[in-house]
Amino acid sequence: MSGTSPTPEDRPVDRAADRAVDRRPAGWWAIVKGLGTVFKQAFRPDNTEQYPKEIAPPPERAHTGRHRLNRHENGLEKCIGCELCAYACPADAIWVEGEDNDPDEPVSPGERYAKDYQINYLRCIMCGLCVEACPTRALTLTSYYEMAFTSREEAIWTKEQLLEPPPPLGTDPVAREGR
Amino acid sequence: MPVDPITLTIDDKEVTVPKGTLIIRAAEQLGIEIPRFCDHPYLAPAGACRQCYVQVEGQGKLQTSCTVAVAPGMVVRTQNTSDAARQAQVANLEFLLLNHPLDCPICDRGGECPLQDQALAFGPGESRFIDAKRVFPKPVPLSPLVGLDRERCVLCARCTRFCDEISGDRFLELFARSAGERVSIAAGEDFRSPFSGNTIQICPVGALTATPYRFVARPFDLTSGDSVCQHCSAGCNVRVDVRRGEVVRVLARENPDVNDAWICDKGRFAYRHADAPGRITTPLIRDRGLEPASFGEILPWLAERCRSGRVAFLTGGRLMDEDYYALSKLARTVVGTNDLDHRRAFHGGLAEVVAAAAVTDRERSVTYRDVEHAPVILLVGLDAEQEVPILHLRIRKAAARGAKVFVVHPRRTRLHDVAEHLPTRPGHEVFVLDRIREGVDGESFEARAAAALRGAGGSGVVLVGERLAEHPLAADLALAVASKTGSRFGYVTRRANDRGALGAGVHPSLLPGGRRLGVAGERAEVEAVWGSIMASEDGRDAQEILQACADRLVDVLFVIGADPLRDHPDAALTRRALANVGTLVVQSIELGDLEPFASVFLPAAPAAEKDGHVTDWEGRSQRIRPVRDALGISRPDWEIFAGLAAAMGSDLGFETLEELHEEMASLLAPRAMPERPNVWAGAGPPQWLDDLTLFTYPLLVDEGRLSDGAEELKAALEDPAFAEMHPVDAEKRGLADGVDVRLTTAAGDATVPLRVTEHVAAGSVFVPFNQPGLAANSLLSGRSTASVTVAAVDEGSGPEAVPDAALATGPAA
Repeated sequence: MSGTSPTPEDRPVDRAADRAVDRRPAGWWAIVKGLGTVFKQAFRPDNTEQYPKEIAPPPERAHTGRHRLNRHENGLEKCIGCELCAYACPADAIWVEGEDNDPDEPVSPGERYAKDYQINYLRCIMCGLCVEACPTRALTLTSYYEMAFTSREEAIWTKEQLLEPPPPLGTDPVAREGR
Repeated sequence: MPVDPITLTIDDKEVTVPKGTLIIRAAEQLGIEIPRFCDHPYLAPAGACRQCYVQVEGQGKLQTSCTVAVAPGMVVRTQNTSDAARQAQVANLEFLLLNHPLDCPICDRGGECPLQDQALAFGPGESRFIDAKRVFPKPVPLSPLVGLDRERCVLCARCTRFCDEISGDRFLELFARSAGERVSIAAGEDFRSPFSGNTIQICPVGALTATPYRFVARPFDLTSGDSVCQHCSAGCNVRVDVRRGEVVRVLARENPDVNDAWICDKGRFAYRHADAPGRITTPLIRDRGLEPASFGEILPWLAERCRSGRVAFLTGGRLMDEDYYALSKLARTVVGTNDLDHRRAFHGGLAEVVAAAAVTDRERSVTYRDVEHAPVILLVGLDAEQEVPILHLRIRKAAARGAKVFVVHPRRTRLHDVAEHLPTRPGHEVFVLDRIREGVDGESFEARAAAALRGAGGSGVVLVGERLAEHPLAADLALAVASKTGSRFGYVTRRANDRGALGAGVHPSLLPGGRRLGVAGERAEVEAVWGSIMASEDGRDAQEILQACADRLVDVLFVIGADPLRDHPDAALTRRALANVGTLVVQSIELGDLEPFASVFLPAAPAAEKDGHVTDWEGRSQRIRPVRDALGISRPDWEIFAGLAAAMGSDLGFETLEELHEEMASLLAPRAMPERPNVWAGAGPPQWLDDLTLFTYPLLVDEGRLSDGAEELKAALEDPAFAEMHPVDAEKRGLADGVDVRLTTAAGDATVPLRVTEHVAAGSVFVPFNQPGLAANSLLSGRSTASVTVAAVDEGSGPEAVPDAALATGPAA
């Protein structure tokens, strides 16, 4: 059939193109050129970040760290406990339990709030689908990445923890221990 | 019904359907989906939502396909082939969404919402509406079970039509007109219908929501299993939703042969018992207190006691067919006793008659469809709404089709608006039945019932409740009425699998398949499969077993899936029996009130965790599958029986469910009914006694174990204990409505508020069986009726003291 692409055997051989790709120098010149690269790199200023002794600020728009649950300006939680983040999560890392808001002392605007909200960072793959699913912008990713833990329980972050803004980098006690 | 085929064309495809079919149904047969909200296959057409517009060629205007019946040669174009229909549907969805709030993320319907789904499939992408939306306070509680959010309502009138057409409990109505139109309930009224939950399930938006399920889960974190409801013998098909191992919701599953698309509120909302705090999932043994142990420890210990002692078995009504069969075989062939019973305590011949006849004789037994199509229905001794609610809906459906319904019952039932009702003093049903059998002439109730049944041409139905079994002759008489008028005869048990227990022979004198122990030929049929049956004498029934326990004639009593302290109609005897029996083995999901008496607890799995069959009142055996794994090391009951048999050095002959089914099938296959002589020799005149007869039966929502944890259900539908008395009797004793009265029977006494009402027969006093404040079995001596005296309570005792006093005096008396 004319529509199918030709197999490698059928394809006409383009010797000129092959030669054009193969720009390897021959013989002793190749050794000189290769070593040249080595010496050029060896004397360049090095780019190693001295983490954790020195902590570089993350790029401004890097949202690849811990989640954060946000609040409205009036202090109410933006999270309404709708569980859409949990539904979107491909790693089943999020657990939400909804509850009726007390109309006199609401936790969030509207009828429902999240009584419980947990993210298991042993499961989380930082894909950000939960953030995309969130209808109220309650859940966002921060650039805080110091999340070492020493037990499975510690890996599960509770709602209270997630509501707190992340601390400055370099203050995490577990991460500091390794310093 | 003659099928009158009509051929029409929908979207250029031809389809042939019976006359009277609606266009929307005909389209369904072709696989063409027309969006709809108000249309429901079990409700009458309304044309309220205007969503299902189609174009019918030759008609100028678009037609709503849910209200127009097909006609020969009709050419219908749906949204697939007609731009006009498609545009109308898009426009209508935009209209419906004008006032619909965008709170889908928190709406309990979100994710399984017909409006959401159809807006996505057929609606416009965006709304052009920029003004403020209509705002109502939300949610308004219609009852402790149902909440109404009027902002979300699309005025499809499904809920109001359900109340009008199906349940007859006309609480919901459309109020006001135009933009202010809304579903509501009369001011101050409560949506107090035992079928209210169905309106939630059929609501096509999240306007009606279930309070117990409010914000508990979203549809996408549920795993669902198909099951059969365990609350009564109706056999309703349900879907059980589980969220991470916890049952959070029960929905009706459509089955036109059983429950149509409905279930009662008890089935829908009483689902927490299996997760109740009292649930025990390991065996316990009272060596050093009730200590956890393993099956491997307990079963040999128990086998030793069963081998050397006298053993009896009492079961409840909610085990599987397989469990009952295994128990029947264990008792007869391994333990060697016929002292086993599943009934509460009813004496008399009815169970035997029914076992021999209705259980096995499929030709004469009654099904839901027979009820639905019967021109005449006679109910005796049965309060269908309270005892088997889905049967009640079927009877209403039959009545709506024109059936004549006759009810003989001591208390007015909820069929009063569609039935002729004869309030009959309990025990006097036999005289009524006898007159119907004789076919007396005249204008009396009996004469009309007899004439109607005879005129029904063989499709009349006689339904008998299990309380009638207490009269030794009532059963034969009811059967005689049925056979003389050529009607079908149905025996309506109350508990979920009473029929399965009867069929499997958990009965002192009956073997599987209704075969009688005392009849050599029938016994030989069973022995051919089982090997020899060790004891040949009829055993003791429930009351006699408890009496024997009280007299220390029983060493080991098994109480399996039952709570005789609450259920057995003789509380004092039960307490004595439990205290005096040597070893009490409780096999259940919890210990409850039996804790002080139990020597051993064996953890059984509840229905949600079991695989097996349940037989409803019709005799229909339905398979249920586990919706989750059994908790802890709890096991299906039949496995425990098989384990006990093995520990006793015997073998029940089956190790898997398949082997068990194979063996059961051979013994439970339908067989012809043995002829029974009619022993009824005619009744004398009814004796009108001066004293009052107390009668009792459990109401739908009560303190039964399976309702544990269903607080919202109880708040909505449960009354505290009361007594009902006819005005004539009340006047004679100088009692007024609302006063506290003291009821005194041979067994005990109790104080409850009195309701004076014409809804009970003169000469009788009704007390519900197990409401908060009074366990009526403390007033009974083995039967559901008792002779009672009623007197006003002295002014001195305060109302607060009443429930406590009633509870305290009950068991001790």
